[in-house]
Amino acid sequence: MRRLYGWLVGLLGVALLISVANQLFRPSPAHLTAGMTVGSALGGNTEITGYERAYAPRPFAFPADHGSHPTFRNEWWYVTGNLADPTGRQFGYQLTLFRIALAPQPPVSDSVWRTNQVYMGHFALTDVAGAQHHAFERFSRGAVGLAGVQATPFRVWLDDWALTGTETGAFPLRVRAQQDSIALDLILNTTKPIVLQGDRGLSQKSAEPGNASYYYSYTRLSAQGTVQVAEKTFQVTGTSWLDREWSTSALGPEQSGWDWFALQLDDGRDLMLYRMRHKDGSADPFSKGTLITADGQTRALSWNEMDLQPLGEWVSPRTGDRYPAQWRLRLPAESLDLTITPKVVDQEMRLTVRYWEGAVAVTGRFGDQKIGGQGYLEMTRYEKPVRR
Amino acid sequence: MTPLLWRALLRHPLHHPWQLGLSILGIALGVAVVLAVDLANASARRSFDLTMGRITGHATHQIVGGSSGIPETLYRALRVERGFRLAAPVVTGYLPQKGQPGQLLQILGIDPFAEGPFRAAAANTSDGSMNLSALIQEPDTALMPSTLGEQITLQRGNQSFTLKRAGTLDGPEMEGLLITDISTAQVLLGLPGRLSHIDLILPDGRAGARIADELRAWLPGGFRLENAQGRNQATADLSAAFSLNLTAMSLLALVVGTFLIYNATSFSVVQRRSLLGMLRALGATRGELFVGVLGEALLLGLAGVFLGGLLGLWLGSGLVNLVTRTINDLYYTVSVREFLIDPWSLLKGAALGISATLAAAWLPAREAANAPPGAALSRSYLETRWQAAVPRLALAGFTSLGGGSLILTLSDSLVSGFIGLFLLIFGCALLTPPTVVYVVRINQSLVDRLNLLTRMANRDVARHLSRTGIAVAALMVAFATTVGVGVMVDSFRGGVAIWIKDLLSADLYLAPTGTEGGNNAEVLQAVTLAALRTTPGVATVSTYRRASAELGGRPIQLIAAELAPAAQAGYRLIAGDPATAWHAFQTGESVLISEPLAYRQRLNVGNSLPLMTADGLHEFAIAGIYLDYGSEHGRILIQRSSYERYWHDADIGSAAVFAVVGENLATLRERLQERLGTLQPLMIRPNRDIQARTLEIFDRTFTITNVLRLLAILVAVVGVLSALSALQLERAREFAVLRATGMTPREIGFLVSLQTGFMGAVAGLLAFPVGLLLAAVLIFVINRRAFGWTLPYHVDPWLLLETLALAIIAALLAGLYPIWRMARTRPADALRAE
Repeated sequence: MRRLYGWLVGLLGVALLISVANQLFRPSPAHLTAGMTVGSALGGNTEITGYERAYAPRPFAFPADHGSHPTFRNEWWYVTGNLADPTGRQFGYQLTLFRIALAPQPPVSDSVWRTNQVYMGHFALTDVAGAQHHAFERFSRGAVGLAGVQATPFRVWLDDWALTGTETGAFPLRVRAQQDSIALDLILNTTKPIVLQGDRGLSQKSAEPGNASYYYSYTRLSAQGTVQVAEKTFQVTGTSWLDREWSTSALGPEQSGWDWFALQLDDGRDLMLYRMRHKDGSADPFSKGTLITADGQTRALSWNEMDLQPLGEWVSPRTGDRYPAQWRLRLPAESLDLTITPKVVDQEMRLTVRYWEGAVAVTGRFGDQKIGGQGYLEMTRYEKPVRR
Repeated sequence: MTPLLWRALLRHPLHHPWQLGLSILGIALGVAVVLAVDLANASARRSFDLTMGRITGHATHQIVGGSSGIPETLYRALRVERGFRLAAPVVTGYLPQKGQPGQLLQILGIDPFAEGPFRAAAANTSDGSMNLSALIQEPDTALMPSTLGEQITLQRGNQSFTLKRAGTLDGPEMEGLLITDISTAQVLLGLPGRLSHIDLILPDGRAGARIADELRAWLPGGFRLENAQGRNQATADLSAAFSLNLTAMSLLALVVGTFLIYNATSFSVVQRRSLLGMLRALGATRGELFVGVLGEALLLGLAGVFLGGLLGLWLGSGLVNLVTRTINDLYYTVSVREFLIDPWSLLKGAALGISATLAAAWLPAREAANAPPGAALSRSYLETRWQAAVPRLALAGFTSLGGGSLILTLSDSLVSGFIGLFLLIFGCALLTPPTVVYVVRINQSLVDRLNLLTRMANRDVARHLSRTGIAVAALMVAFATTVGVGVMVDSFRGGVAIWIKDLLSADLYLAPTGTEGGNNAEVLQAVTLAALRTTPGVATVSTYRRASAELGGRPIQLIAAELAPAAQAGYRLIAGDPATAWHAFQTGESVLISEPLAYRQRLNVGNSLPLMTADGLHEFAIAGIYLDYGSEHGRILIQRSSYERYWHDADIGSAAVFAVVGENLATLRERLQERLGTLQPLMIRPNRDIQARTLEIFDRTFTITNVLRLLAILVAVVGVLSALSALQLERAREFAVLRATGMTPREIGFLVSLQTGFMGAVAGLLAFPVGLLLAAVLIFVINRRAFGWTLPYHVDPWLLLETLALAIIAALLAGLYPIWRMARTRPADALRAE
């Protein structure tokens, strides 16, 4: 399973839309300060009846499954990566396109604008040398060709933000996004086979049947292309990670937030893991991970195999939210002892929904040897406790 | 000035409340009319700004298209291919509420996801009443002001749509507005696949200009990038001439009011001549008396302005409906109806009222200041001076007339047209007292043979020229205005009636339902047209398609027509030989243009007309100019095949049917309805219906003119009442002498009536030539400059008789109170009082 954040966004559905409405029509200060957090939006619609759900593993067929599954409520195409130019100047990026269904059935189509499919896009670029983080957000309806998904030739887009594949499949995948003075144009290629997360691609979220998603990843993609920051263009290469997930799910009431890691180690291994937090601060037993070896073999990691500790605290000067400043991850069975440090401290996504997501550096030991790596980290719902 | 002096001066008006009241009423009415019109204009403008503002929002530019808007694919291309993000699609139009055809509601269809930076819709989302999901997904939802209730049924043609509330729009500027999702608006307005325009936000300055240039280069032919503010301004300018006309009409009322103040003030000076002389003898300086009289007039003016302000507010709130309705009928739709109390209008009204009062009181105040000390300023002295002034008045009158004529001929702007008009009226007013003297002189030889009373009555008028002259002049101006405006409106109506009858020469007119609100999206389908042409009883068919074009920054109508020969005959060419013109028109490279367009753009037959077509600029030759009252901004008539070639629009908006000779039209209409109605919902109307509807709108337009005309008459009648009755009241002693020498109250009544009636008749008769002159200026100068069209000059004798009767009746009424007073007063008392 990947992107609990996205998963939750999916859950929000209409609730999120309401917060969009709040922003579009008469923004009220009260809503902007306290309201634009995941927490407040959570109170909204969690209607799941009428949608298809993920009950059992299914066969995946490509390129069709790269495309849309509109009978599920939520779906996303999530790309992150770490890049560098020939001089070693580092960048991190995220481009995510979310599909959200507002209703199980498409409405009676009297105008092509009428649709139940809505798209949200997040685009972020971290300029490590400049210690800058740029984040953008877009919304669109999935109609009139403004935003949408097609399987062949593969393309998912929102305005001119797009992931574009080829006639035969998703790769080589072109990732293009641009806003204001920030632009990204990359070609991604596979270096490892596809990873079906969870049980053959069925990622169970809680004990309740159907509370699961279909989830696959490409954990290590080669990337090359250009990054543009304030009129300057950089030729870059690096690695990327693509997550695909669709579901109709709901979080348990006791779950409060999560931390998600996508780590690429220098020895060729990749590590996906997440910790779901309970309101009392403890970790949910459904927290877990996957270890992918250099040749693409996978091993599921259960929560009791891991020791994950937040280190220190970083207080966002803009929002006051308190995030862990660093993490320590130990996997005794794999002889791994890793420290995960943000490449830039402030990679907070101050968008309609607020979270921290950014490029991280990995240092540590594999047995007796030193090991390094990099990756992406997502931390959600660290907002100040609301005093009642 | 000492308080004592003030008290001495103010005693007089306070002891003549009747006179005081009428003077104040005169100025109050004048101010009220000016203020009301100004407020109505300002409110209409404000409503327009609100209507446009809530639509335009923060957009700096708009992409606009041809007759049927913009295909939505262009918007997709702009966002997805071109990557231009600060763009929002808009589908907007007007629909009436079911059962209330006159009240149009504005539909604003938006894409909430693109809206963010553009419009603050002020939808109340905080109380949870806003349901964006429903707005987007459900076909029958809208954000609406709470005044519209929970749901509303709209009508387009014979289709009706019931919308329910998905959120509340707050604020007065949201009245009459429904915000829907763009999909809902497309369905409501019958615009599948189309957008009204695309809003853009471009940065200021050079960066914005560069992006605008790039976008212009990128846009396919037939679409334009326009500056949003400029576009709104151009729309607002459409009704500028109309507003100016209203303002000028209202100023006319103030002019009449000014005459009244002059009359009242000079009269009060004359009445107090002995007091003024005495004050001078007691040491009051000329300056003090001048300031005193002026101050007294100022007080009068202030009271009038205050009263007029209240009256104007009341009148204005009524007038604003008439103004917005006319603007809706003729220019553009304003769905906000707000009565705005513009402080600037209030200030202007007050300033005008007070300056009019001071200007009017200036001469009488100087008269008072010049009173020789000690000796009473005798009436005879004053009248003698007036008699002596007659040649000077005549000279000033002719000068004013000459100046007015000069301005009318030298400049051709609308404002100078009005200035010239006012100078002409003023000149005629100045010439009135000399004319009165002249008429009395001529009369004298006639009445010499009659009895003593008649002779007395006649001579008296000339002897009291200081007041009778002004009173007759005021009355004349008021009635001349009535005549002038009346003749203009009659002529106009006559012209329009003939024009519309010629133009709509076909028997039946067909249009798809839903095209009433100027909606161009509904078109006649090809099958319908084919069926129409083959229906028995149909001889020939003309087709029309209305589109919009732009010329010199002004929107003009483009009418693409395939005209049957009989339909061609309906266009009256005022320039160009018909046979040649129509022949050239048929080739498609020549067009016919309407008279207002030719006038405004100074175009003539043979000139070329560059028009922005779908393929870019193309020059068309002008083959003829036709008479048209349909649009003051002009129309272009173009051969349909040519339009199709250059604008890539093959649609037909409406059709006209000429029936076979002898065909029963009612039967034909039924047959058409039967045969075509199954193919497409249609409105089939006989030409008479449309003609009647046109004249109905015409009459509605001139309702406001008639209201103003009536107000001018009211001001005049009040003026006559105050001037003439004061004049007669002042002669109490004279009448007492006459009574003492044996005249009966009955005979005095006869004398007074004869005099006032005579003055009314003179004023009424003088109003004929002046009114006809005024009408000529209104028709040949003002209308031409404001709207660009020529009207026939048509005089209805009944109107003249009516005016004369009204003048005499008003004058006779003015005599009633003095007669009643005199009959009640014992002559001895009146004599003793002296």
